Amino acid sequence: MKCVVLAAGEGKRMHPLTYTRPKVMLPIANKPLLEWNLLNARDAGLKEFLFVVGYKSEMVRNYFGDGKQWDVNIQYVNQGKALGTAHAISMAEAFVDDFVVLCGDTIFGAHDIQNIVNKESSMGLVEVENPDKYGLVKTKGANVVKIYEKMEKPFSNVINAGIYHFSKSIFDVIKMTGKSKRGEYEITDSINLLSKESTFEGIHLEEWRDVVYPWDLLDANEELLKKGTTSIEGVVEENVTMKGPVVVGKNSTILPGSYIEGPVFIGSDCKIGPNCYIRPYTSIGNSCHVGNACEVKNSIVMDNSCIPHQNYVGDSVIGFNCNLGAGTKIANLRLDKRNINVVLNGKIIDIKRRKLGMIMGDNVQTGINSMINIGTIIGNNVFIGLGAIVKGEISPNTQIM
Amino acid sequence: MCGIIGYIGFRKAPSVLIKCLKRLDYRGYDSAGIGVIDEKLQVFKDVGEIANLEKKVPIDKGTLGIGHTRWATHGKVTKENAHPHVCNNKKIALVHNGIIENFKTLREDLERKGYKFTSQTDTEVIVHLIDESYNGNLEDAVFSALKKIQGSYALAVVHEDEPGKLVGARRESPLVIGIGDNENFLASDIPAILSYTNRAVYLEDGELCSLTAQSISVFDDTKKKIEREETIIDWDIKDAEKSGFPHFMLKEIYEQPNAIYQTLQGRVFEREQSILFPERVEKLLTADFDSIHIVSCGTSFYAGWVGKYLIERLTGIPVIMELASEFRYFGVKKGSSLVIAVTQSGETADTLAAIRAGKNAGCQTLVVSNVIGSTATRIADGFVLTQSGPEVGVAATKTFTSQILVLFLIALKLAVLRNRIGLNEVYKYILELKALPKQLRQVLDRSEEIVEIANRIKGATSVFYIGRGVNYPLSLEGALKLKEISYIHAEGFAAGELKHGPFALLTEDTPVVAIATKDATYAKVLANIGEVQARGPPVIAVADDKDTEIEKHADFVIRFPSNGGLLSCIPIAVILQLLAYHVANLRGCSIDKPRNLAKSVTVE
Repeated sequence: MKCVVLAAGEGKRMHPLTYTRPKVMLPIANKPLLEWNLLNARDAGLKEFLFVVGYKSEMVRNYFGDGKQWDVNIQYVNQGKALGTAHAISMAEAFVDDFVVLCGDTIFGAHDIQNIVNKESSMGLVEVENPDKYGLVKTKGANVVKIYEKMEKPFSNVINAGIYHFSKSIFDVIKMTGKSKRGEYEITDSINLLSKESTFEGIHLEEWRDVVYPWDLLDANEELLKKGTTSIEGVVEENVTMKGPVVVGKNSTILPGSYIEGPVFIGSDCKIGPNCYIRPYTSIGNSCHVGNACEVKNSIVMDNSCIPHQNYVGDSVIGFNCNLGAGTKIANLRLDKRNINVVLNGKIIDIKRRKLGMIMGDNVQTGINSMINIGTIIGNNVFIGLGAIVKGEISPNTQIM
Repeated sequence: MCGIIGYIGFRKAPSVLIKCLKRLDYRGYDSAGIGVIDEKLQVFKDVGEIANLEKKVPIDKGTLGIGHTRWATHGKVTKENAHPHVCNNKKIALVHNGIIENFKTLREDLERKGYKFTSQTDTEVIVHLIDESYNGNLEDAVFSALKKIQGSYALAVVHEDEPGKLVGARRESPLVIGIGDNENFLASDIPAILSYTNRAVYLEDGELCSLTAQSISVFDDTKKKIEREETIIDWDIKDAEKSGFPHFMLKEIYEQPNAIYQTLQGRVFEREQSILFPERVEKLLTADFDSIHIVSCGTSFYAGWVGKYLIERLTGIPVIMELASEFRYFGVKKGSSLVIAVTQSGETADTLAAIRAGKNAGCQTLVVSNVIGSTATRIADGFVLTQSGPEVGVAATKTFTSQILVLFLIALKLAVLRNRIGLNEVYKYILELKALPKQLRQVLDRSEEIVEIANRIKGATSVFYIGRGVNYPLSLEGALKLKEISYIHAEGFAAGELKHGPFALLTEDTPVVAIATKDATYAKVLANIGEVQARGPPVIAVADDKDTEIEKHADFVIRFPSNGGLLSCIPIAVILQLLAYHVANLRGCSIDKPRNLAKSVTVE
């Protein structure tokens, strides 16, 4: 049984974070999304993987290699131009017989993966609160009757979870599948063709977390951190307070006066403190620094980034190799406490959250006492001058003075 | 220029090859073909664009194959001459980009040994040579075949009996390996494979490579295995067509060292001290004519004008320049004159009409064009190709310098035929020709200095260009380049003419670009520069790098490597192109598609 993982997508709705990495390499709880899937699939007993890669595939390949480090075997196939999910799956034809497919940008539980593995011709279903954003699935008994494209007024809340178990015959069906309205070859259309001829079972999942927009990473991060348990591999100096599960990676040092409320993950080679306050659901990558008089809360900080002096960072994602100037602060709540609107890729989005700080791309530097408003999107390689007030969507490679 | 591609892996080779070829069509598109191994070797090829081939490939099977898109240099555009070429037992197929210089002797040898040739191409000898040395191992056979070949090549070869192997090799023509997952590629250029992989290994001259679906091996010319690191290509497909350059125009400016090399290939023979053209052209040039009319439009007209000075200087034959759009109606057409028409596309409506008008008057007609099979090459009595490869930027760059070069070769050939120069002098010119690509690289390497000067003139309302002799039409071309892409008003003048009127326009805000070469008029040009400076404009001199006098006269100097001869016009042309490009770029103009202009003007 081979596990095909779709990992080719760029994830345009994840800009600016995906300018420099494919969506599946976005870190959540200090591991790429794809690694969580790999670990869960391995726990479900799968050993043979085929990653369908495309956008910035070298990053996936460099990270996972042949899979030995995880005790699995990974092969790769390059999708090239992304023409849809059916097209991606068709890449596997030469490498598989009976196989399961996981969308690499959605996290599935090990137990659910096992249920799908155990049932030939099946797919995962999940109940969600916002079914208008997904492909709806109509079932009869246990069987799938039809998968619909997303609709404004959904007739139920059961949606396609993005995990499937196929036999080799799916490739013939894919060849008969035409382009969808979106102009893509979609596996849901293939399944609709298939379910007319034979039975295709829908299996309800217990765990499921998809990420579409950058702020969804924070929810996924929270969910994964909640499962964490304390593990200290680094050095914790005296007068440090740690509550709840806290992970401290190798060669990391927690200096006196640091107050850490778990769940918090801290990667390797970090310097934390002295005198800082790290609050729940925060993931700090490798080689990071959180310094004196800084408060970080419910945030993802990627490798090599520094929050060094007198900073407040809340409900934010900070990309790779960023540095905040002394006193740079990030707002994360409107004074009137209403939902926040974000401008992403030039479109206004009501994110249905009251709290969001900023989403910062890679290699951004801010000057001292700069202020960043709620829901600000900052592209990569941006310079923010001292005392600047920053809001809205900032294009990559620009300077705000 | 041609494009080649090779694929080995798990996908259906025919569709992969055709998709990749479509991304190479900027390298040529007069005919195309693929060869695929699906148990048996099968070859499909035809004249016309790749889309035409696509319709004619009946199968989509096999996971190993090669493909080619052609821009003819040897032999006409026919199905037989299209690649891939196969050996007599139809087991080996090969695609090739380059020119085999000793193919005639090789062909005669092989024919004596009983090999049957089906095309007029130089390529076909390679496939028979490989067949001749084949002894169960394709790499070895390609090694021995290449030992016998003189010339340039990038090639991809497959053998029916070794269905898990794709062999490639290159010398002086481009070839890159694309590394995929469970698949590997060979291609003339990165854009071809970028939709499948962004991992590339560049081959160096004289190297050979052997690919399987899972592995690549690279060998040097002594068969020693080499380890080569892969490069991650960080451009998207749109950038890739421009090979990472921001504009096609800049890419084409930088292609000139190679374009010049291609133009000379197969025509200039150092050892024999001779210049060779196809038979029909030789016949045209030996005919008895007492004058030459050069007809053309736009940049080609200026190339022709440079050609006028070169031909007159080397042969003494009077050359009359005529704009095609004027000549066709008003020109005096004498049967005793040779008409040379210069047209990049071979489709310029006015130039075609001028050729027809010349023919009607009984003139012999010779076309200098970049496109074989174009109308001009078909209606004229003979043609010489510039061999510079397709040009995408509307502002002509590499085709301009290649046109000048072809006209120089024609001048040299005429001079030899009419006993105007001796072999020693021919040899001297041949050495100068061979040194050109290197000199152009030196000019391109110094483009930073040109950017600085561009910065100084980007705000000007008018720019004037002056020069004498062959530098006069270069001034006209320099001005044309500037106005067409930067929209700054620019004019070229013969340096001696400035004081007869245009002086009235000189102010401190009208920079003057003066071309000063060390010829008989050098002192005069310095005097002209003095006259200009006295009236206030900044003077930018273009001068050779041995010229120590010029600093005293000009405000800025752009240097080109000294070659002491007639051929300095080529590096100077490149400098003027770079200057125009950088000015336009600094002004934020739409360089590849200037307003109101089209690449090939097929209306009158």
